[in-house]
Amino acid sequence: MKEEMSLLRDIERYLEGEMSEQEKTAFEELRRTNSLINKQVEEHQLFLLHLGNYGQRQQLQAKLNRIHQQLDMPALRQQAQESNQAAKRLSIRRRTITNLAAAACIALVTSLSTIAVIQNVTRNKSTAQYEDVRRVLNNIQRSQNALINDINSKSKAPLNPGTYGGTGFAVSGNGYIVTNYHVVAGADSVYVQNTRGEAFKAVSVFEDISSDLAVLKIADSTFKSQPLPYALKPQSVKIGEEVFTMGFPRDEIVYGKGYISAKTGFNGDTTAYQVSIPVNPGNSGAPLLDSKGDVVGIVTGKQTTSDGIAFAVKSAHLKHLLDEMPKDKQPHKDWNHKSHLEGMNRVDQIKKVEEFVYMVKVYN
Amino acid sequence: MKQHQDITRDRELLLGLAKGEDKSLEIIYSENFPVVLRMILQHNGSEDDAKDIFQEAIIVLYEKVQNNDFTLSSRLKTFLYSVCRHLWLKKVQRTYGLYSLSPELEEVIPATEELEAHQAKDQEFRIMEGAMSNIGQPCQAILEDYYLHKRSMQEIAEKFGYTNAENAKNQKYKCLMRLKKLFFDQYNTSL
Repeated sequence: MKEEMSLLRDIERYLEGEMSEQEKTAFEELRRTNSLINKQVEEHQLFLLHLGNYGQRQQLQAKLNRIHQQLDMPALRQQAQESNQAAKRLSIRRRTITNLAAAACIALVTSLSTIAVIQNVTRNKSTAQYEDVRRVLNNIQRSQNALINDINSKSKAPLNPGTYGGTGFAVSGNGYIVTNYHVVAGADSVYVQNTRGEAFKAVSVFEDISSDLAVLKIADSTFKSQPLPYALKPQSVKIGEEVFTMGFPRDEIVYGKGYISAKTGFNGDTTAYQVSIPVNPGNSGAPLLDSKGDVVGIVTGKQTTSDGIAFAVKSAHLKHLLDEMPKDKQPHKDWNHKSHLEGMNRVDQIKKVEEFVYMVKVYN
Repeated sequence: MKQHQDITRDRELLLGLAKGEDKSLEIIYSENFPVVLRMILQHNGSEDDAKDIFQEAIIVLYEKVQNNDFTLSSRLKTFLYSVCRHLWLKKVQRTYGLYSLSPELEEVIPATEELEAHQAKDQEFRIMEGAMSNIGQPCQAILEDYYLHKRSMQEIAEKFGYTNAENAKNQKYKCLMRLKKLFFDQYNTSL
């Protein structure tokens, strides 16, 4: 105990520089030789450092407490509370606004996408149910009849059967032909060919996309005009009325028979009829005639989802369209006469009509 | 321009703090305490919490400026605020477990580096504090007077009624030995 204390005293005196020169060298010698003492010296140095730090910090804390006591705490308290309340209000308001905005965005996105999806579905449904009955012509062999006629008349019509085909029929004796717009849409050139195999070049002079009708004019010098045997019936026909059509679903004219089944067309289109009649690709633009031989409509398409449902534009609409055509292009109105076919039997009617029904061939 | 002025001012305040000027300490304290008070109150702390946390942050700052290589990487205000937030976060975690942490507090980037050194120093301080309070009177008073308040042995002898300085010195050495023992017992086990 005594020794320890005297050692501690020596260490302190040594560190504080109270030793005489002689004592100091002796003590340093002792430090060098006795590692235990050296360690104690270092430990004491470390201890003093910590003690110093402790003192400093205590002093600092005392100062801080003094400063703190000088603060005007009630005022600070009030200030802090007020600003906290303001901040809370603001943060609540901000949170509410953020939530509302997020909800609105979600609602907007949902409704827009729903609308888009519904529209898409509706469009898909329509295209799935309605089908134009124009014919895609591949390498179907042309009828011999046509070949022979081609050779005989040295017609300039190309031997190539064309890309698309439909049907058209004369609406005047001087070479105006009505067909469907979708038949001639995007055409580079259009040829029409009658049952005798005579082909004529034609140009589209008028198109009405909304009712899917197009008026062609034969622009060929070899064409000879002749009077129409049938008339255009502007009144609408009744449901159940028997009708027949003649068209070119193949390279030969094909007769089809049916009846008017509804007064509106696809999706309630009032400018068209629903007709129960067999139609096939290539029938587009074929005339629809009633039993008296009057033209009552133009076949445009059919419903794909069920068989035997076809659609035809009403003749009234066609008449309206022809009246609207520019004056210089208007065909002679020679269909207003009474039909020459009334009272004839069907075979004779067909014989008369087929000369005025043309196969429309489109090149593009 | 204003920002530049602020930075210059912060630097001057820190220099003052390093030199131990009371005025700088006072300015730093009174300017920054309200913000911290607000923050602690906002997060369900009390005024005493705010005082403790803020004073600890000042101590951290003080320890930093004692090292000459310390440079402030942000505004002084920002530094103190983030240190306080971090200390408060730790305290809340210690006291209540994790459940009562507000999400805003968790977002704070922890000022970890700033605080690691401080934690070690803080522990040393606690050990010394514990040792000091355990040696009893008059030892504590004698040692504090001699080592911290730098009084001479003569003054101490008179104050505590020793007949001479030599007697007081003997008493001081006894006390010092006890304190060292207490301190190093703790110090060596905890480090």
